[in-house]
Amino acid sequence: MGTGRMLRVYREYWRINILTTLEYRANFLVWFAFTFVYHGSALAALWIMLARFPSMNGWDFRQMAFLYALWMVAHALHNTFFSSVSDVPDHVRDGEFDRLLVRPLDTLFQTIATPGQVFPDELILALATFVAACIYSGVRIDLVFVLFVPLIAIGGALIDLAMNLAISTTAIWFVRVDALRWIVAQLEQEFTRYPLGIYSRAVRILLTFVCPFAFINYFPATYFLGKTDGALGLPPVVGLLTPAIGIVFVALAYAFWRFGLDRYQSVGH
Amino acid sequence: MTGSLPRRRFRLAPYVALASRAMAREATYRFDVFGSVASVLVRLYLLKMVWSALYAHNVSPAQLPLHAIITYSAVALLMGLVMDIDQTRALHDRLHDGTIATDFLKPISVPLGFFADGTGEVLFHAALIVPALVLSLLFVHIDLPSAATLAVFALSFVLGYLVGFWINFILNCSAFWTLEVSGVQLIVTWLTDLLGGEIIPLVIFPLALQKIVFVLPFAAMFSTPLLIYVGVIPPAGWAAALGVQLVWVLVLGGVATLLWRAGAHRIVVQGG
Repeated sequence: MGTGRMLRVYREYWRINILTTLEYRANFLVWFAFTFVYHGSALAALWIMLARFPSMNGWDFRQMAFLYALWMVAHALHNTFFSSVSDVPDHVRDGEFDRLLVRPLDTLFQTIATPGQVFPDELILALATFVAACIYSGVRIDLVFVLFVPLIAIGGALIDLAMNLAISTTAIWFVRVDALRWIVAQLEQEFTRYPLGIYSRAVRILLTFVCPFAFINYFPATYFLGKTDGALGLPPVVGLLTPAIGIVFVALAYAFWRFGLDRYQSVGH
Repeated sequence: MTGSLPRRRFRLAPYVALASRAMAREATYRFDVFGSVASVLVRLYLLKMVWSALYAHNVSPAQLPLHAIITYSAVALLMGLVMDIDQTRALHDRLHDGTIATDFLKPISVPLGFFADGTGEVLFHAALIVPALVLSLLFVHIDLPSAATLAVFALSFVLGYLVGFWINFILNCSAFWTLEVSGVQLIVTWLTDLLGGEIIPLVIFPLALQKIVFVLPFAAMFSTPLLIYVGVIPPAGWAAALGVQLVWVLVLGGVATLLWRAGAHRIVVQGG
């Protein structure tokens, strides 16, 4: 399959998404309000905690706002470009997955490029929040920052994608994976709001090496804010490894996905 | 149609049947059950770690020492198994697909029917509290108050449940006019978690914010029973606390009834 053809299909896919968004402008506003309240209440909860208790493991509210904003950008990137990967279990269950398999395009690519109503609302909000958090936290903005932040955001989105893909692949054997997905979503969305050092050692290792969500925001924020890692005693510069970690984990998840595809047996419809 | 309905003798049997059918329906979703219990445990672990870290490096508030706030969080999460259910979702769904019309033909009170259905669903989920509690006790210590406090807590919990029921009912009733409420509902759920004191006790909030959150109905859902449980509301304050909850039940129930009547009337106007 030529890369050129894939690019043409992908461009067409985005054209459909954007047309859909323009068609449902009221929905766009509702989703925007949604996203705003979700992230707003999460930040408000952090603010309330840190108004009463000035610091958490040596992190104050300004630094935690930066931690949150960094996660938000990666998370929003993933949701905008790869969220349809989490539909695989549904496709397996209702037999739709069989149709993807017989088409002359890569199955994962088809999954990612399935048109839906993809609104860029979260990404817009995430970028705005990130800019605000950079100013508010007083993080030092130098050449390394400017060069690495986009790469780290993409690397973070790839980490999300890798975990999403791995869970979706398990659906090939187990069909219903809601509970597993839910627990991993908790680790990704809620555990990343706090410095890694507050957790017990097993959870720190889990979030660093198994589900490496700490590389989405904790390690990069530790580096950029000039803090020391009190969780695993790693040198702060590991925070710049996020893009590499993202690529490695996506490769592993993709290998697992291929392994699963080879063993796929339809639920039989 | 609603105006001309003849008054019927009230019979309990149909509502009991509705409630037990709802319980059977919920029992078929085994995977969701596992997810609910797992969610309580994961969140409980998170909250324990968060509060422990905050208390470790700061002066702890006199009202709520660490063991009290962990107890608070654990009980809040267990309450959430019951409170976070939208019992009257069926109302919205049936308005959406039009099947509400046949409900009006049934020889039962429609709002009471939804209440029975929702209560069945809630009772099933309440059964989850037992395994969730047992597993929670494996890694946190939950303080047990006196029998009298527990009894008042239970009463306050029921009143909180009714406040939540009416808030959901009002939101679902708005489907009479807008037909799409799920967006608003999700927003209200997130706000309730925060403003009702499910995640963070309201007494931890900055003082200026406390003045606002304590007069909102959300405080009557989670905060009041929980503060009774951990003893922040002492026995001398029980009557007043329950009284405020009761006022909210009556006020919101009144608003819901008015909305229901206006909405049901409107359905007749539309002609179905």
